Amino acid sequence: MKVVEINEVQKTYHDTEVEVRAVNGVTLSFEKGDFAVIVGPSGSGKTTLLNLIGGLDQPTAGEIIVAGHRLSELKPSELIDFRMEHVGFVFQSYNLIPVLTAAENVGFIMSLQKWPKEKRMARTDELMEAVGLSDRHKSRPSQLSGGQQQRVAVARALAPRPEFILADEPTANLDSKSAETLLDIMEKLNREEEMTFIFSTHDVRVMKRARRVITLEDGKVVSDVRTNHSA
Amino acid sequence: MKVNQLAWRNLWRNRKRTLITAASVFFAVFFALVMRSFQLGTYEKMYSDVIQSYSGYLQLQNPSYLDEPNLDNGFTVDSVLVSRLEKDPNVEAVVPRIESFALAAAGSRTQGVMVLGVEPESESKALNIRNRIVRYKLTPEALEALKGEDLPSRLGKNFELFAGEAFTEAKDMASILGVGKRDTASLLPVLTRHTAYPGSYLSSGETGYAIIGNGLSDYLGAVPGDTIVLMGQGYHGTSAAGLYVVRGVVSMPNPEIDNRFVCITLDDARWLYAAPEMATSAIIGIRNSEEKELAATQERLREVAGDELAVRNWKEMNALLLNQMEADNKSGAIMIGILYLVIAFGVFGTVLMMMAERRREFGMLISIGMRRGRLAGVVGLEMLLIGLLGVVAGVIASLPVVFMGHARPLRFTGEMARMYEDYGFEPVMPMLLPDTYYLWQVVVVLLILTVAISFSVRKIFKLNVINALRA
Repeated sequence: MKVVEINEVQKTYHDTEVEVRAVNGVTLSFEKGDFAVIVGPSGSGKTTLLNLIGGLDQPTAGEIIVAGHRLSELKPSELIDFRMEHVGFVFQSYNLIPVLTAAENVGFIMSLQKWPKEKRMARTDELMEAVGLSDRHKSRPSQLSGGQQQRVAVARALAPRPEFILADEPTANLDSKSAETLLDIMEKLNREEEMTFIFSTHDVRVMKRARRVITLEDGKVVSDVRTNHSA
Repeated sequence: MKVNQLAWRNLWRNRKRTLITAASVFFAVFFALVMRSFQLGTYEKMYSDVIQSYSGYLQLQNPSYLDEPNLDNGFTVDSVLVSRLEKDPNVEAVVPRIESFALAAAGSRTQGVMVLGVEPESESKALNIRNRIVRYKLTPEALEALKGEDLPSRLGKNFELFAGEAFTEAKDMASILGVGKRDTASLLPVLTRHTAYPGSYLSSGETGYAIIGNGLSDYLGAVPGDTIVLMGQGYHGTSAAGLYVVRGVVSMPNPEIDNRFVCITLDDARWLYAAPEMATSAIIGIRNSEEKELAATQERLREVAGDELAVRNWKEMNALLLNQMEADNKSGAIMIGILYLVIAFGVFGTVLMMMAERRREFGMLISIGMRRGRLAGVVGLEMLLIGLLGVVAGVIASLPVVFMGHARPLRFTGEMARMYEDYGFEPVMPMLLPDTYYLWQVVVVLLILTVAISFSVRKIFKLNVINALRA
């Protein structure tokens, strides 16, 4: 089942009178349960493509269909609701809310969606356990290590059961051990919850774990390889 | 997580900044309230003094008297008209009086004075001269006698500061000299014994007596029992001269009046100025002095008085004082405006810093599904809470100061007092109890916050999420 369909998408920036084509005619699709990475040199369009898929940006041409929604047809406020319902984001620099505890961060999107408190707390407990932080419910982000913060961010992204997770360089700020732990957790969630993960990364450790590696260069897909890594 | 919970926690993420911003609002509100309370309290006192001791709320006059206040512009008192005016439900009494000028002399000293002829019994229904009779005074003799008493040393200092001061009530004297409640029982009898001042008010039917202001008494060296000479010009250019025994001394709040005040009975004044049955004005004592009721009463009385006589209110009669106060009021408002402008920049600076620091967080929140309106609500509520924290603290802190300043007004001494007196004001600054001016300070702070919040809301609605995430 296709979760994301990208058809002939282009994104052009007009920066200081120079036209920059960050994404140039990309056509791709992602299936439910994909564990895919988008790789490529800096400036190849990885993050732009991720932003387009996540509805944070609009393509200059082409269309993106996510979970049956044509993103170009959604109004800005509908896009925000769309992201909340269908997309989970994991950022390179964790981006947790500093004034909330780990558990509150995990439950934040659910509270925006007005989940009943008991259901929300049960889901939070479940995810905190899944990311190995069941003993850190009440810790503030400043009391957690980088790896732990990123795990909380993953749990937060997963909480409202989105269609897929977009992770932009999720291991870039982590040491090897933390990165491996995080990837273990993501793989496990991918396997057990059949959650779709789409990464952009430079990290070889992530690439090694991926079951699909898409390479971008100058905004174009130059290769799309499915590997035989088992989840 | 509710908006208010999130806003409350965000408030304390940078505790120092929140406290500094709230403190700046606090100080602005506190100083603005205290300044305003002093200013409005002083105006209130001046208006009240001039109304109670001199002009009254309403007066019946010859229409020309306001522009040329002299005896020739007086009027003959019509007892039928007075009765009709007194029938108005808000009128307590109509008290005719003569007001003119003369030279007052005692011994080798002479002073130009204002002579007021009143009906002693009915005067108290309109004015308050009777209650201003000096009963205690720190005369050189009294001070000398007090030196011989075993009194606390701090009182000695105050005796020097307030030498010559006159008091109508023993409790006022105790308060000004700094006699605490504990010492009142033991010290007050000693003080009153040595400072007791002779004198009483005028009585109807007797002639040849005068009440004089304390300042005039000091200048002429005339005390109760002494005789003063009044010389001047009477009705239609007749000469006016008479001898009057000082019956008592009054302490008038306005130094300008206090230094020139002579009060005799209306009959004596009519005889002195050769103006039988006449008055320059009639003070209309009223029951309810609220502005609306006062205006309505004035309107009703105008209809009764007809075109021959004018009914003036205290504002018309004291236009100069009102203009002075209005000018002073504007300068005070400008000062407060500058104070708030400084605070507005402080609050705005906080908003700018907060928006810059949290740009990426805002981008993240919008990207994960928080609506911009909700985010703006959180940020707006944070600013509102900081502002309200400062406003509430400022208002609470100002209350004891204002209540204290109202109960025990600031009384200037020495050079400062002299300066006030030179301007014709009593050197006392009472504070006005909380009134609508408190509400205005809150409104001003809320307006500043509204501008700051609008700025942050606009920024959030215009935020480019992708750029913010890169920040």
